Amino acid sequence: MSDTFSYLLMAWLDPQLLLLTALGTLAGIYVGAIPGLSVTMAASILISFTFSWDINNALALMVGIYVGGVYGGSRTAILLNIPGAPSAVVTAFDGYPLAQRGEAGRAIGLSTVMSVIGGLLGTLVLAGSAPFLADMALEFAPRDYFLIAVLGLLLVSTLSGKSLARGIFSVALGSTIGLVGMDMVTAQPRLTMGSMELMGGIHYVVVMIGLFGVAEAFYQLHNLTKVPVKQKVDKIIPPLSMVLKYLPLSIRTSIIGVIVGALPGTGGDIASLFAYDHAKRTVKTPSSPFGEGAYEGLVAPETANNAAVGGAYVPMLTLGMPGDAVTAVIIGALVIHGLNPGPMLMIETPHIFWFTVGNLALANIFLLIFGLTGIKVFSKVVEVPKALLIPLILVLCVVGTYSINSNMTEVYWMLGFGILGYWLKVFGFQMGPVILGVILGPLLDETYRQAMSSVGDSGGQFLLALVTNPLSLVLTAVIALVLLGQTPAKTWLKSRFQRN
Amino acid sequence: MSQKFERVQAGEKVFDWLLLLFSIGVLFEAYRIDGIPGLNSPGSFPVGLALVMLASSVVILISHRRKRRDPRIRNAFHEAQVFLYEHFQPHIVVFTFLAVAYLAAIVWASFYISTYIFLAVTFIYFRQGKVVSSLIISAAAIAVIYALFTLVFRVYLP
Amino acid sequence: MFKPLLTSLAIAVGSMAMAGSVLAEYPERNIQATIQWGAGGATDNVARSLTPHVEDILDTTMVLTNRPGGTGVIGMNHVMRQRADGYNLLYGAENPQLYPLMGLADFSYDDMHTVNIIGQGLVVIAAPADSPFDSLAELLEHAQENPGELRMGGTGAGGLPSTVLAMVNAVDELDVRNVTFGGDGPGITAMLGGHIDFMPLSLAAVGEQIRSGKMKGLAVLTKEEIDALPGVPPITEALPDIESFLPWGPFWGVFVNQDTPDDIKATLEETYEQAVANEEFGDFMQNFGAEVLNLNGEEAEQYLDNWQSVTAWAMYEADAETLEATPEELGIPRP
Repeated sequence: MSDTFSYLLMAWLDPQLLLLTALGTLAGIYVGAIPGLSVTMAASILISFTFSWDINNALALMVGIYVGGVYGGSRTAILLNIPGAPSAVVTAFDGYPLAQRGEAGRAIGLSTVMSVIGGLLGTLVLAGSAPFLADMALEFAPRDYFLIAVLGLLLVSTLSGKSLARGIFSVALGSTIGLVGMDMVTAQPRLTMGSMELMGGIHYVVVMIGLFGVAEAFYQLHNLTKVPVKQKVDKIIPPLSMVLKYLPLSIRTSIIGVIVGALPGTGGDIASLFAYDHAKRTVKTPSSPFGEGAYEGLVAPETANNAAVGGAYVPMLTLGMPGDAVTAVIIGALVIHGLNPGPMLMIETPHIFWFTVGNLALANIFLLIFGLTGIKVFSKVVEVPKALLIPLILVLCVVGTYSINSNMTEVYWMLGFGILGYWLKVFGFQMGPVILGVILGPLLDETYRQAMSSVGDSGGQFLLALVTNPLSLVLTAVIALVLLGQTPAKTWLKSRFQRN
Repeated sequence: MSQKFERVQAGEKVFDWLLLLFSIGVLFEAYRIDGIPGLNSPGSFPVGLALVMLASSVVILISHRRKRRDPRIRNAFHEAQVFLYEHFQPHIVVFTFLAVAYLAAIVWASFYISTYIFLAVTFIYFRQGKVVSSLIISAAAIAVIYALFTLVFRVYLP
Repeated sequence: MFKPLLTSLAIAVGSMAMAGSVLAEYPERNIQATIQWGAGGATDNVARSLTPHVEDILDTTMVLTNRPGGTGVIGMNHVMRQRADGYNLLYGAENPQLYPLMGLADFSYDDMHTVNIIGQGLVVIAAPADSPFDSLAELLEHAQENPGELRMGGTGAGGLPSTVLAMVNAVDELDVRNVTFGGDGPGITAMLGGHIDFMPLSLAAVGEQIRSGKMKGLAVLTKEEIDALPGVPPITEALPDIESFLPWGPFWGVFVNQDTPDDIKATLEETYEQAVANEEFGDFMQNFGAEVLNLNGEEAEQYLDNWQSVTAWAMYEADAETLEATPEELGIPRP
């Protein structure tokens, strides 16, 4: 027992580990915030510097980068309406309106405190329930992954934008882009129009940088001559009463975040989406209507995506399965340092588990410090005149895209998606559904076909499985409810209910 | 906000027709994968998604029937004029042209030189002069990019 | 006054960058290495364990990227399409040697330069811990009574599970539902959850789970029981006739574009030979139930050709109809 405590506190007491965690967190915030620079990329490049290090040092730096990076994406989502990472897409829904209202400082402060609360709760859950959650994740069959992906896409198409048809079109368009390339099962080329370049598919970061970076840059050209709305970033530290007010919501959304994060393959992006939907449904009187600067709409995704970090560590430390791309990199580090990620990890080397738990908590403390102090410097970026900012955004987009694969063709594609995104934006289509389609589309196709193969390609058996398995039944029911909510049946049921 | 959405913007109908045509194109490409797909074949999802896109673009087009054209727009010719005025302002066209030229230049003029020229030219154009400060800011930007990407992240740039 | 100064500065910076690319010695920047299978699988494990030793020798950073899908075609196609400057490597498994046969692609390892054949592994047919079957014989019996009912985890046409299935079908009959995953890793997760009934896997990916009792080993693809997995019977116990294909196993190698300059090829070959010989890596491979080969040049080519001829003809004998071409048409000699 005393061993457990000494491992938990290891990162807090060793000055070197303390420094590395702090550096990692700070670097993570900035890397996560720059659109086009992803946490995954930073982690996979930095990890190679750490191979010769002690395992604890390497893990400390990675934990910092991960925690900081997931949070950093929200900064630019709030200030510029450009999410720095997919997990911050939802944050922009209410974060940017808040900034436009002159409450950028409050929004950043609140999102920082809430991220820390989410992160700490996520860590707590990781420590308390790793074995239990890991068992639960195993219960998810391919059809359940399929249902979750369907639910995610359904939610994003109904949640964002003013018109359902446009939302669905955007999701389908994104998924179609995601499917371009070779089929996973038969390796047949799909939707490649005979191009060899497209055989390997279109990297989702290319689409993301195009749609979020370049399209936004072009869109902003319309108000080039306007003086930029000066985002006030005073009043950063949110009053305690405000934090306490949203604490119940943040605890609920943290739990959503941990659970979604623990599912292999799903991470902060889907967690934040679910949390946002949860807030939208349960909070009857938000501070402003959702989508127009509701604090609740900021609290929910920000707690959830940071809680998902703790969640993502659960399958990694108990099963040796990566919860997302960053934990895949960390698994690589464990192997390199001679550890066996897998069921034996917690039995043979429990100190790695407890060290990680203590380290995650520490990184969240640093997140609080850096998140609340560096904002003034950071938000100066927003006050840079658009005439300077727009060309610079384009250059950063080019660098970010090129560094994925050192491939100029992808840079051209990125510009193409930027121009497409500009026109979609002009005519009332949202970017969020498109990008989530690109990320989830292939998962949808893959899991659907796994589920179909499992039941011997029988449509009837497939549908039967959806309602006979308890887990699938719950998911199917939730999907049915969301669908029902979009039809006139909702108003009909409501009126019946009210009459009674 | 909602008012704006009930009115058809200049060029919106044309764009939505283009989306419909695009959906048909995707359907055709998806059909070429393996004809009419079964329940579990490489083509089932692409064809399904193309049909979803087709259906939703039809719904979008139908919804236009309920919307009115902006009363200030008199006829189709005037609509085209408004469209061109809104989206093809000189500085947007120039920026697009510069961006395309910049991407083309990277390949044969190396990343740093073309980026420097691109930044300097767009800064000077957007800020209508201020040549000296534009050049200095471009140089500073290049220095930061070099330090961050080439030295810290060791990203290879062409 | 400032203008010419800055212009000359820009030119200086630019020419420095250009001069650098001519003068510097390979490797002067990060190397991109693509792993053709997903994270957590055998190829991934081998690649990630070997890479740090390579980085030590080359004194550079290697960025590892998993590009799974299409039985590894996607990852290999990606590397082949990159510039032939030695900055794009492929960590591949055995599958490309069967691409032309399966009609998956018109290229194979003949179209790349082999830097090193790192090692080869053994195959174990694994099942969930609560599986009703204790041996391959029981599974075969059940499958023959209920054809097309059991769910086998696969990794796509030409993947290791489908190759093993073909070998089994060459000597017996096994009709199953083939559920395709992005690699060993996701397949193992699905099996831990009981969503598939069995899956032929490389021992490197699954040995730990079998030893810890989270999974069951039904048979090892060897003639005799192995030390790494005591108690798991050799496959010949259930299927004596399969012996003619043995020894057989997946292998892992490092490959680079064929048109890479010769001096870079030589540097890479030397580096990898040294890295694979590293004692620490040798221990890792042994733990994973794999054998270090460390072949390059002529020896590597021979190994690849031999593997291809044994496997291709086995698959041809098992089920010629599913193949897109016969080994004969492709000029693959009989073993």
